[in-house]
Amino acid sequence: MNAQIIMDGLIAGSMIGLGAIGITLTYSILRFANFAHGDMISWAAYFALAVSTALGTLVPSLSAPIGPFSFGWSLPMGLVASIVLTALLALLIDALLFGKLRKLGGAVIILVMAGFGAALTLRSFLEFVFTSKPTYFTDALQIAHPLFGGARATADQLLGLGVAVLLVALVHLALTRTAAGRAMRAVSENQALAGLAGVNVAKTIRLAWVFGAGLAAVAGVMAGLLVQIRPYMGHDLLLPLFAAAILGGIGSVPGAMIAGLIIGLAEALCVQFVGAEWRAAVSFVVLVAILLLRPQGIFGRQAT
Amino acid sequence: MTVPALQTTGLVAGYERDLPIVRGIDLTVAAGEFVAILGPNGAGKSTYVKAIAGTVPTFEGRVLLGGQDITDTPLHQRCGKGLGFVPQTENIFTSLSIAENLQLATDVLPRALRAQRVGKVYAMFPDLAGRPRLRAGQLSGGQRQMLAVARALIVEPQVLILDEPSAGLSPKIVGSVFTMLKAINKAGVTILLVEQNVKAALSVADRGVILVEGELRHEDKAAALTNNPLLAELYLGAPPARKAKA
Repeated sequence: MNAQIIMDGLIAGSMIGLGAIGITLTYSILRFANFAHGDMISWAAYFALAVSTALGTLVPSLSAPIGPFSFGWSLPMGLVASIVLTALLALLIDALLFGKLRKLGGAVIILVMAGFGAALTLRSFLEFVFTSKPTYFTDALQIAHPLFGGARATADQLLGLGVAVLLVALVHLALTRTAAGRAMRAVSENQALAGLAGVNVAKTIRLAWVFGAGLAAVAGVMAGLLVQIRPYMGHDLLLPLFAAAILGGIGSVPGAMIAGLIIGLAEALCVQFVGAEWRAAVSFVVLVAILLLRPQGIFGRQAT
Repeated sequence: MTVPALQTTGLVAGYERDLPIVRGIDLTVAAGEFVAILGPNGAGKSTYVKAIAGTVPTFEGRVLLGGQDITDTPLHQRCGKGLGFVPQTENIFTSLSIAENLQLATDVLPRALRAQRVGKVYAMFPDLAGRPRLRAGQLSGGQRQMLAVARALIVEPQVLILDEPSAGLSPKIVGSVFTMLKAINKAGVTILLVEQNVKAALSVADRGVILVEGELRHEDKAAALTNNPLLAELYLGAPPARKAKA
């Protein structure tokens, strides 16, 4: 096997994994599949683009590339702003849509359909404002450096991988070692009992949205940096994201990342050995296989 | 005058406003008292205590805890006010470890108190102390019940409410659970216990109250109820509600 396939798979997989962590967190706590998550990834990329472009225009030195990377300080600053703005967007959608449906005791299917509606609205709005023409954070060209066994990667790609691994570790630690993380895990298992134990469930749900949106923002900026920015970028990632979240086991953060890498590798292998036109089918095949063979996923536990 | 530990006045509660399950219950529980709530299936016992705990909506009436009105207090604030509730089922977080179940409950306490309270509860339940990192889902039925009680006790509640703690447990373990509850009560915790196992409940309670069709029909000292065959026949036999009406 070609080492480049592994490298390509890991880079694509790290983006999928980051998005899948957001999906798995919101799915396990809110108990519904939020199909608007992909479009939050797109919005996050455009938020970062708008802020970094504005900063770069105001202070041109912020656009000068940092070391070996293709972007200047305006992009990390745009990412921070994007995390805040995407979190606010998620909280707004919850307050206006999902929260109201939860209060009415809406069935899961109603929440899922509302998610579809929100996704469509978000995507159309992006197309309306930014058009469907692809755009980029930077037009600087990057040269891929040789790594191992003939594999090559750009500094941006390696940074993306590093950020993904770091974030998985941080989110995992936050969930297992902090009071807020314990509360999120408790709410994901039993909301009524969590309330009895003193957990403010409404606040914990908001925190889950913030976590998920923050991760969507990082995934969006990474995808925008490594591929391109366009209104459909998050929507096109949706199937691999859900496949990774389910393959990893709903609620498992390391599981989502490992599954994301597996799907990324499977897609890279498919492109190499079957054909690029079949790439999108990989996630679908993985999703169906895991639902048939091990519905709780690799790291998921069956109810005890 | 001594303030009651718990009081409900005209409590009407249930899942639908026009179809209440609890229909105007007045009950006063003195501080340090152990009260058993008895009654046939469908009498509204569980719904009554869930309404006190805040997991079932209250439509009319008030709930007073230590003289403080908690009727409209949000669910998550009730344990901080001194109300502990152990549901009948799904009363622990099975995906969390024993230590995490307890730590979660201490998060409402001031930071300085947390470790001390966990230590105190481990001293009460040595079975749990030996393996804090074990996932709670791996515990046996009796151990789960212990953890559920420990979780509720860790905030040192004024009133501890338990909904059928003997459900699904073997007779031997039921005995130890009731012995544990009596010891907790002797330590000063007021207990309100919903129980189908009438004999076991009355053997540890000071007083029993009998609910039928969502109403409080009778209350007496536990010893008096134990020796009252007529009441047992009327309310605890089958089908009790119909017989009572006849």
